[in-house]
Amino acid sequence: MKRSTLYRMLIVVVLCAAPLLIAAAKVGDAAPEFTATASTGKTVRLADYRGKYVVLEWHNNGCPYVGKHYNSGNMQRLQKQWTGQGVVWFTVLSSAPGKQGYVTASEENSYLTKMQAAPTAALLDPTGEIGHLYDAKTSPQMVVINPQGVVIYSGAIDDKPTTDLQDVQGATNYVSLALEQAMTGKPVQTPATRPYGCSVKYAN
Amino acid sequence: MQRRGHHMRGSRLAGSCVKTYMRRRCSSLALYSALLLVAGLLPCVASARAEGTPIPHGTLELVAENQWIVAGHTIQLGLHFQLEKGWHIYWVNPGDSGEPPRVKWQLPAGVSVGDIEWPTPRRLGTSTIVDFGYEDDVMLLVPMHAEASVATQGLGQVGAEVKVLVCREMCIPGKAQLSLTLPVKSQPPVPDARNADLFAAARMAVPRPAPSSWRISVTDAKDSFLLFGNLGRHVAQVEFFPVAESQIKDAAPQEFIVMAGGFRLTLRKSDQLLKPIERLKGVLVVAGDRGYLIDVPVSKAMAAQRDVGDGINPADSLKEVTQK
Repeated sequence: MKRSTLYRMLIVVVLCAAPLLIAAAKVGDAAPEFTATASTGKTVRLADYRGKYVVLEWHNNGCPYVGKHYNSGNMQRLQKQWTGQGVVWFTVLSSAPGKQGYVTASEENSYLTKMQAAPTAALLDPTGEIGHLYDAKTSPQMVVINPQGVVIYSGAIDDKPTTDLQDVQGATNYVSLALEQAMTGKPVQTPATRPYGCSVKYAN
Repeated sequence: MQRRGHHMRGSRLAGSCVKTYMRRRCSSLALYSALLLVAGLLPCVASARAEGTPIPHGTLELVAENQWIVAGHTIQLGLHFQLEKGWHIYWVNPGDSGEPPRVKWQLPAGVSVGDIEWPTPRRLGTSTIVDFGYEDDVMLLVPMHAEASVATQGLGQVGAEVKVLVCREMCIPGKAQLSLTLPVKSQPPVPDARNADLFAAARMAVPRPAPSSWRISVTDAKDSFLLFGNLGRHVAQVEFFPVAESQIKDAAPQEFIVMAGGFRLTLRKSDQLLKPIERLKGVLVVAGDRGYLIDVPVSKAMAAQRDVGDGINPADSLKEVTQK
């Protein structure tokens, strides 16, 4: 009797813990909640933005794929375009201390100013917690969350998985496509793609 | 012609050794310069392949298996990468991050190249992000065909603009413009002895078609693909590399179970795989052996047990599975 109760408890523990450990958010799932510190020092809770579209952009300033989108001005253009339409845009920095792309809050603020970047906030994620919640593999991986808090896109920023600046023009931007389709009540036609880029520099 | 080729190669080699020596000397004390001269020359003598166009953390060289381009024949070219320790480049499916080398060819009239023959890759990376690629020394084979009508007098210049991403902890994009000048002849091809070892090794590294005696099948099982193999012998371990991106979770461990005459391998489906796939194509690496190309239809979990045709059903010796 005692033993079977123990087993039952064990099963419950395993069943509850398993999804937390392995199942990262994918398209169609509820976006995992997180609380993060922005480079401005502000505390950001994803839950506070329910009712709005939210874009997550994985960032590493040393990654040449990220460089393609910032040096061409493409990322800043997207940030301005979509935040101008009420979309919340979080740049997420999941590089661990000592790894490429890790920055302090003030370094990130200088970078944002220098690049004229315009996300709603840059979230510092040195433990990789948010990165792992969303199974972010690369920078610049992109995630779009709808106002109901459901992941409607996860993957590449566009369909040109290269580091060439010239490839920005003429590329199909999956983030804009997902936002446009969702905002006009259409199903997102390409909800998941391979997120090209540099691996996210987690602590391991 | 041929002799001159040898001679030129020799002098270029010597040139690169001197440059290497000079670089070392600049960063060292003069006291050691005599020692360095000897030490610097040794690797050049030991390795006849010290030359190559620089790419980030390595070199790249375009080589040909034969001494000349042959009208009406296909000869093999090789893109030979030599990388510094710890740095890697990518397979045709790079896995979770990165990208494969891309080549733009500049070819003489009447000459064309086929697809790259990719050597069997390795799993590279950490627990959560796994890439497929190559470290150290790797050569990509490319067949080059000359039409029968190609002019067989003079020289043909083969150019290749290669874009390559070289990564370790960080990634550096590189670009190299390579060229190779070969005579164009109608005589049968004669191998270039200098490159014989390189091409022999490259051929060994390219996956071979799976033997026809193998029975391989793939079953779609909800979150996973179950890859069954009956090779008619004990297999200690296998690893699978899918040619197409976004079919399986690259970083997920591939659960391997030994079965009579073969194995079962569980491949977790990629989150990006939103539609069923009809075939699973890739390289199966058998421990202690080499890579084999497989291209197998994917059957539904139930159907697979009834279907006996096509050699794709888990074979009789895999009873443990079919009885489930």
